[in-house]
Amino acid sequence: MAWMEKAEKIDGSGNDCMTRVTVMAGIRNRIFLAAGVFCLLAALVIMGDGWRKLFSGRERVITVGVFSDSYWEVQNGYSYRILEDAIALFEEQNEGVRVEYVSGILKEDYPEWLAEQMVLGKAPDVFLIFGENFNDLAEIGALKDLGSFMEDDGSLVKDEFYSSALACGEYGGRQYALPYECAPKLMFVNKTILDAEGIGVPDESWTWEDFYKICKAVTRDTDGNGTLDQFGVVGYTWLEAFDSNGVELFDPMGTECYLTDERVREAIVFMEKLEGLYEGYHVTGRDFDLGRVAFQPMLFSQYRAYKPYPLSIKKYSGFEWECIPMPSGSSGAHIARLDTLLIAMNENTVQEKYAWEFMKLLSAEEQIQSEIFTYSEGVSVLRKVTESDKTLQLLIDSSGEGSGFRLKALSDAVEYAVAAPRFRNYEEVVAEVDKAVRNIMEGSSNISMEQIIWNREINNFLKERGER
Amino acid sequence: MKENQVPNMVFIWMLNLNLLMILYITGIMAASLSGYVHENTARDFLQTVSHMNLEPWKIPVAAVLLYGSLLFFLCIQTENSLLFYGKTGVEIIISLILGALLNFSYTGMILLILADVIRNMAKVKWKFLVIGIVCGVHLLADYNLFSDSYRIISLDTYLRYYRSDVRAVMLGLKNIVTSLNILIFIIYTVLLMREQMSEKERILSLNERLNRANEELKLANSQMEEYARESVKNAETRERNRLAREIHDTLGHTLTGIITGLDACITLMDIVPDAVKEQLQVIADVARKGMTDVRRSVKALRPDALEKMELEKALEQMMEEIKRASNIEIEYCCSAELNHFNKDEEEIIYRIVQESITNAIRHGKADRILIAISMEYNILYIWIKDNGIGCAKIEKGFGLHHMEERLGMLHGSLNCFSDNGFVLEASIPIRWGEAV
Repeated sequence: MAWMEKAEKIDGSGNDCMTRVTVMAGIRNRIFLAAGVFCLLAALVIMGDGWRKLFSGRERVITVGVFSDSYWEVQNGYSYRILEDAIALFEEQNEGVRVEYVSGILKEDYPEWLAEQMVLGKAPDVFLIFGENFNDLAEIGALKDLGSFMEDDGSLVKDEFYSSALACGEYGGRQYALPYECAPKLMFVNKTILDAEGIGVPDESWTWEDFYKICKAVTRDTDGNGTLDQFGVVGYTWLEAFDSNGVELFDPMGTECYLTDERVREAIVFMEKLEGLYEGYHVTGRDFDLGRVAFQPMLFSQYRAYKPYPLSIKKYSGFEWECIPMPSGSSGAHIARLDTLLIAMNENTVQEKYAWEFMKLLSAEEQIQSEIFTYSEGVSVLRKVTESDKTLQLLIDSSGEGSGFRLKALSDAVEYAVAAPRFRNYEEVVAEVDKAVRNIMEGSSNISMEQIIWNREINNFLKERGER
Repeated sequence: MKENQVPNMVFIWMLNLNLLMILYITGIMAASLSGYVHENTARDFLQTVSHMNLEPWKIPVAAVLLYGSLLFFLCIQTENSLLFYGKTGVEIIISLILGALLNFSYTGMILLILADVIRNMAKVKWKFLVIGIVCGVHLLADYNLFSDSYRIISLDTYLRYYRSDVRAVMLGLKNIVTSLNILIFIIYTVLLMREQMSEKERILSLNERLNRANEELKLANSQMEEYARESVKNAETRERNRLAREIHDTLGHTLTGIITGLDACITLMDIVPDAVKEQLQVIADVARKGMTDVRRSVKALRPDALEKMELEKALEQMMEEIKRASNIEIEYCCSAELNHFNKDEEEIIYRIVQESITNAIRHGKADRILIAISMEYNILYIWIKDNGIGCAKIEKGFGLHHMEERLGMLHGSLNCFSDNGFVLEASIPIRWGEAV
């Protein structure tokens, strides 16, 4: 039957058409799937920074972020000297690897320069960071966690470092940076005043009591014009007092303040006592420069910077001076702040291995570390370098005084120093505490009560910070 | 395809709007980062964020790639539910990555996935679960929810770079586009629903028409059955009339002649005996001629079908005709050789079958009839059963009597009873080779 055949033909061709449509849809789906997966992978590679690894895997160059002048703000003319020596040593040890750095960035511009490079994703593989910037950078994940490197690398002995210096590179229990050089706070003593008053330079185990006695003894009106013109101490703030009395003001994460601690009260009482000596006169650093103040806390680097220079000799020409550890509080020890310059690795570096080697060279290599005493004003972060005879000789030579430099005292001061608490926005919180302490001291009411009130205030502040 | 044109166009608008939005937000982010660097305030930026930003150029590039990837996945059409779940899952993951890249300040692309799910709702099992999940993701993908557990820089941090009035305009624009996206999504959904509703209505009306046609067909069918019964009856009446005419024309005529002749004989018997002899001779001639006429009539009265063809074919044709004329299903099986019977035997077989079918239809209202014919030791058995109403007590009408009589003439027998219908059994001894 013709019509049936015809119908079958139509039906058959219809089926053909349907299968063709299905097959076409299958092919189209596969194309879409492939394109979708490709785009997704491309996006992930770009976002995950795999892109850079793909294109620059073979090039063996590490970049280093440094600044041109001294961290201790001394124009000593040796700006890149240690770095250059380290690069030379590194390139000798690792043939075919080049180290590059951008020169001419001033210290004051350096944090901004580094931040810009990070925002643009062009941060160097290895860079120096200031103690005060470390918290922010560690928090946002810009720094590589060095834990695995330190564990795997047998040549790095943790115990060779001052534990306090190493702790400066820790954040949230992880090591994000190695210390490069450090400087502890020490007490400067105006020997001329003490000699004139018939008081000997206190020994290293002196306490707040000794400190107060001397201050009380030297604070007087020397020329008899009715106003005080010789003072005990300048620049000794609650920070120094808290540290020396073993106060731990915050928990490690910076979520809680312990201002109500008994040791805080002791420190505040001691501060009030000290200030009570001056009858309201506001002592300044200028008074110390003029040789009218017996004590001033200073960083070791400041001591070293001013000692050998004509400028500083002129500045402090009127008197002889020396530095000793901080006095210990009634519940504490001779503990002071440690200022540290750190080296860290870029989280996104593609040259992890060489970056680590170079960091290690700067931080843990004796030869490089010993140059710190020659070309910089800080203290080496390695105990054996600081305590070596060579260093002693160097310090004695540069200070120009043959006598009585107690190197062990310096080493202990570093060892027992504390790093500033490691949490974000620490600087802002310190300003709050400063305000609180000033208010407590100026306030007329009970200290303990004020402590509770202000503790609450600061805790609220911390909470707000945390939420921001 | 054509009816989906309007919603498809709306969907494309949504795609374009989302692309625009993604470019806008990533543009703001990239420009703000470059601005911070340009103005030497990068440190302030880093101090306010909680994690490292992506390099400025990477943000829009990665976002566009991710969005492209999302679109490609949206284009995949599948009938398979499992594949669809997989595809939707990947889409959700992509949109979450994209959302994270945009700091969850914009998550409108999840509505695209929702639109896609709704569009394919008919093909997917557990569709409400899938819709629920996508809605949940859309609700939960929020900056404030993620900012604590995941380290995300808020859009505000980027916007802080701009002056407050510019910032207000930028945020306003963003909010407008976000609302617009939701609005278009709603319009899309409404249009799609409307389309699906009209489709359903169309199917409903078609169904109704089908039902009506079906009813009409049933009616026509029953009318047809009625007509079939009528026509059987008509045929019977016609047949009877013919029979009456034949009897009247042949037997009546001959018998009248014989009676008249015999009356004349009675009168002549005593007067002219020789003439009686002569007259009787004439009467015998008339009777013989009448016999011839009866033979001719009987021959003429034989069923047409039997006249023209053999019994087997005739039976089949009769059944075929009845099947065709009415809705009756007739099952017929015959294990005997039906040809070469005598004419009277053939006729009675034909009549029994015909009468039974007629009875089954007329009295039994049956629509299924079984007919079996077999032969054993020169006896032919006919067994006919229908599924009609049957009857509790069998009152033999003219048809059955007639059948019984005719069977009796051939020394056969008839037996009938009710058993889920009417059953008729007949047996006929066959005389081979004897003429009637």
